[in-house]
Amino acid sequence: MLQVKQVSVAFNQHKIIQNISFSLPYGHKLAILGPNGSGKTTLLRAIDHLIDYQGSIKLGGKEVREMKRAEIAGQIGLLKQMSTSYFPYTVKELVMQGRYRRLKGQFFGTVDRTDKEFVEKCLVATGFQDMQDRRIDSLSGGQLQRAFLAKTLAQDPKIILLDEPTNHLDIYYQLELLDYLNDWMADGEHAVIGVFHDINLALSFSKEMLFLKAGQIVNQGQFNQIVSGQFLEHVFNTDVLGYLRRNEKLWQTIK
Amino acid sequence: MNLKRSTKRHTVRIVLLLAISVITILVAASIGSAGIGLRDEVQILVDTLLGRPLSGQLNLISANILLNVRLPRVLTAFLVGMGLAISGTVMQSILKNPLASSYTLGVSSGASLGAAAVMMTGISIPLLKSLTMSFVGFLTGLLTVFLVIMFTYKLQQNLENQTIILVGMVVSLFMSAILTVFISLAQDHLEQIVFWQMGSFSGKGWDKVWLLLPVVVFVIFLLMGFHRELDVMTLGEEEAMTVGVDVKQVKLATISLATLLTALSVSIAGVIGFVDLIAPHVVRKFFGASHQWVLPASALFGGVLCVWADLVARVVLDARELPVGAVMALIGAPFFCYVYFSKQK
Repeated sequence: MLQVKQVSVAFNQHKIIQNISFSLPYGHKLAILGPNGSGKTTLLRAIDHLIDYQGSIKLGGKEVREMKRAEIAGQIGLLKQMSTSYFPYTVKELVMQGRYRRLKGQFFGTVDRTDKEFVEKCLVATGFQDMQDRRIDSLSGGQLQRAFLAKTLAQDPKIILLDEPTNHLDIYYQLELLDYLNDWMADGEHAVIGVFHDINLALSFSKEMLFLKAGQIVNQGQFNQIVSGQFLEHVFNTDVLGYLRRNEKLWQTIK
Repeated sequence: MNLKRSTKRHTVRIVLLLAISVITILVAASIGSAGIGLRDEVQILVDTLLGRPLSGQLNLISANILLNVRLPRVLTAFLVGMGLAISGTVMQSILKNPLASSYTLGVSSGASLGAAAVMMTGISIPLLKSLTMSFVGFLTGLLTVFLVIMFTYKLQQNLENQTIILVGMVVSLFMSAILTVFISLAQDHLEQIVFWQMGSFSGKGWDKVWLLLPVVVFVIFLLMGFHRELDVMTLGEEEAMTVGVDVKQVKLATISLATLLTALSVSIAGVIGFVDLIAPHVVRKFFGASHQWVLPASALFGGVLCVWADLVARVVLDARELPVGAVMALIGAPFFCYVYFSKQK
């Protein structure tokens, strides 16, 4: 279980997030929403201890800031918005990087059968079985994001953090990515936290939601219990519901 | 195509590069004002290695030129090339910048300043004597990068790449400015300093080979141990931290090792640019990005490139030698363009 208690992050004395508290048991998903600059990405980076935080973030009862990087990597995987690389790795080499935590313990980082089989499994799960020797700089945006997902899966974490991973992806790949993660979570031993801009996509991902505004939690809970037109307008400073319903009639006119 | 097949293909290419390296060393050592045939050269080497007297028709003067002049010079060039190329590869990957090198962090300007100070003051450390300049150059080169890292650390404890590069450039320019002031004040040494900066393998004997060989081989071995970290860090520091890399520790260790190689190379042969920039790029075109292959291949390719540059530098004009740094760029630039752009099409 992930437990976040009274977490704050500040840069140059300017507080980016303040007093964030929530918990997430394994087998659950959480969608984090909020306007630009509300601190969504900062919260994810604090959970992965990529930045220092005040308060407490515990994973399986252990404080994250007291864990070594390799230990955190065994618990948390982070999938960001499109990552690119100048260096021409193949898909398989990229995915193998997810195994770093295990490989660094082996003589000269040698890959053994366990790593090979695990990576193979991740490549198959993400549909790369026939393209594993493709260079990543020849992949489309959707394929590249999928390759990075495979790398995150190869890390074998307990929790995956998604930082708007579906930006730049078309609808097909957006839904495909979420489907992969649903399959991954099916065993009830993993959890996913996703940061989203698109409220519809967030809803396809999880009904459990947490809304941030100006670095603080506005509300959290089940979508139908906490969300109203007025609430969304308060969070996003615009008539979100009106926007979502604007084309409702038009949609009804088509087959 | 599977991983096994690409491993096999890359192994064949490394063996091929090794063979090219040996042939390059033998050919380069046989060419010069006194031509020594390849067959004679091999015979001399075999006789010497087996500790037996030279076979019948072999000329003692040729053997002397080969063993005491050409071979140590060629081997020095090869080892310096190896060191510079692998250092460039590591810097490019660790700083995630395809233009980075140890020179970016001020090794060459620091070493040049130290060497110039020795030339101008004429000081000599009793135990080192003629090696004083190399030793001081080596130390000031290392010290400059140490300063860059310490200053960056003061500014940003997480040692961000852009800050390292920026501080490196500033310190490097600062050192160069001091050197320029020195030169303008002591013009008697102008020629000596300028020639030192151009780089040369002229007159390098076995002492340099025995100094370089263990360090270069050992540091390359240590850097090979970081090949996984280097792979991960080319994708960015946060990506690397996410999969479990202790980024700061790895960065400090690899930058220090790469700097050690560059400082040693510069202190022995002067400033030879370009090989550290182009070797990794050319090698990546044939071996992909995985450092398991790129590191050893860059080292071998850098060695070969340096030997050829030195060969051209010493044989193209009858009367005098060309500066090897300039020759390197003259050969390297078109070769780099050819490989880089023709493979990109």
